[in-house]
Amino acid sequence: MKSNDVILQTVTNIVLFIILMFSVFIFFNGHHEPGGGFIGGLMTSSALVLLLLAYDLETVKRVLPVDFKHVTAAGLLVAVGTGMGSFFFDAPFLSQTYGYRHFPVLGELELATALIFDIGVYLVVVGITLTIIQTIGEDR
Amino acid sequence: MTFQIMINLLMALIWMFMNDAWTFASFISGYAIGVAVLFFLRGFFPQRFYFGWIYSVVKLILIFLKELVLSAAEVVGQILQPKLKIKPGIFAMDIHLQRNWEVTVLSCLITLTPGTLVVDVSPDNKTLYIHAMHLPDTEAAKQDIRESFEKAIQEVSRT
Repeated sequence: MKSNDVILQTVTNIVLFIILMFSVFIFFNGHHEPGGGFIGGLMTSSALVLLLLAYDLETVKRVLPVDFKHVTAAGLLVAVGTGMGSFFFDAPFLSQTYGYRHFPVLGELELATALIFDIGVYLVVVGITLTIIQTIGEDR
Repeated sequence: MTFQIMINLLMALIWMFMNDAWTFASFISGYAIGVAVLFFLRGFFPQRFYFGWIYSVVKLILIFLKELVLSAAEVVGQILQPKLKIKPGIFAMDIHLQRNWEVTVLSCLITLTPGTLVVDVSPDNKTLYIHAMHLPDTEAAKQDIRESFEKAIQEVSRT
């Protein structure tokens, strides 16, 4: 007897986009307000976990054909890469800088190398969380 | 529906380009002119004019608020009685809705109004199993839901 999940699935289809938008918002907020790479990554993972709860593992693998171990590796590579980047400017490892740059449409924006490091953190958190959950959830 | 809204937004954008005025006020005026043009040409579209759809959505919200107040008053009246005279029960109700979102909206509305609660949906989306707090007459309860919510939802999804 399989139960009918029509209500859960329909609500998930709507709420998923709101959660993902909010996770990106919190990720970019991390420089001056509470937020940042870690909590943004966990929020994205929670959205994908909701997808896993509403549908099954095969559907999510068909929608997102990503091996999350590779996502973790890419995140670590980005984080180490920002640390290595400081060697090119004769600065110590993992030193950071920021500057203001004018863009044609967006106007004045603050660019910081810490954001690139944060992207690495974000990818590592998403990759590790979903690897753990998919490994536990799979039938052997 | 969505196609008409897209055309209307595009017309508002074109209006802003023509006037070279990038303000919210010019967007609003362009949108209003677009509504007038769409209303004039509404016979060209296979769907109905989309303001009818907006009207039926607003009507559904108002029906929901009315039902919420009425049934909340009824529940409070049952609670404040010294002796419990309620007869709870679960009844099955056949629904005539096609799409998933219609079933979801109907279930949420039934659950949000006090006194009734959707317990389960049958696997073919044709039957809702509803738990009612006070159930003197099953047919009357079904008729009540049909008259209020289901008709309004069918009105919203009418093309």
